[in-house]
Amino acid sequence: MGKQRMQETTFLILTSLASGSQHGYGIITDVIGISRGQTRLRAGTLYAALERLTGEGLIEVDREEIVESRLRRYYKLTSDGIDRLAEEADRLRSNAGVAMLRLNAQKGV
Amino acid sequence: MSDGSHLERRYRRLLALYPRAFRREHEEEMLVVLLACARDGRRGSAVPDAANLLWNAAWMRIRLIAPRSVPSVFWGVRLMLLASFFELVCLGTVIETQSSVRAAVTRHTPGLGAAHLASLMHSNVVSVDYGAPIAAAIWLVLAWANDRGHSWARIGTVGLFGLTAMSLLASVGRHAAAYAAADVIVGAILCVAAFAAMLLTITADSNRHYHPRGSDSGDGRDHREPYGRAPAWRSGPDLASWN
Repeated sequence: MGKQRMQETTFLILTSLASGSQHGYGIITDVIGISRGQTRLRAGTLYAALERLTGEGLIEVDREEIVESRLRRYYKLTSDGIDRLAEEADRLRSNAGVAMLRLNAQKGV
Repeated sequence: MSDGSHLERRYRRLLALYPRAFRREHEEEMLVVLLACARDGRRGSAVPDAANLLWNAAWMRIRLIAPRSVPSVFWGVRLMLLASFFELVCLGTVIETQSSVRAAVTRHTPGLGAAHLASLMHSNVVSVDYGAPIAAAIWLVLAWANDRGHSWARIGTVGLFGLTAMSLLASVGRHAAAYAAADVIVGAILCVAAFAAMLLTITADSNRHYHPRGSDSGDGRDHREPYGRAPAWRSGPDLASWN
């Protein structure tokens, strides 16, 4: 059986971490930007995903900071996470490429 | 009290619904994110955040059942949760249909004195008032204990199914179907769920869950291996807890 398809939320979180380590709130705001406001993660969803991705070895804790007496934990991609994100991006690009070719053919471009 | 601390307390109460191990790992940073989201005002009302926390906490607790269970026990445990819910539905139905049942009994047995009828109805409703929540709680305990592989829970499941079936048969024997059809239907559904739950936990397949190989190492410690794939979220010993 092939690999399970990546959910969009997972893809966006991994994409957010592809530019470097981020803390939870940073990921939420970054995902809003990446998705052009289409996806707004909520804390419950984000941390369930972070826990799952950590368990799957796709991300890991980079460092922890205390800011205004509050814990701030930064996450980063692991090498497996980088590979998995690259695979998924490639798959999406390939599918999108086929879609664009067919649409262009239909329009006679 | 400031709005910030009020909000923090509210979020902490919601975060308390998560499994303990998850809370230990993420509570503080989740709180920071929740408060930051509330502060920046871009997220609108805090209600969707609260609903999201509730949903994820419930989902996480339900998922904790899956990795340790063989399929028959996995579904048996879910049916026990369903049985617990149906106990409460029974209670609601009995309370809701009380007046129509009283009228039907009077119609079917016109010679029954008012005092006798009142006493009959009172004893019936009171027994359900107390019995149903207790049974619902016992189903929850049995679901937890069966999930954890406690052998006594299987016996408990058989016993509680027996009581549920006897209660249904007794009400049918008192011709309840004639004047309290809704109560009997809900009771029958409960009985079917309980029966299926019991069957699933006593199948030969489920023995692996209760008597797994390697559990008897003689050192008195529990060496059971989780069944099937590893939990989707990290599976340290603390995380395999239903707290």
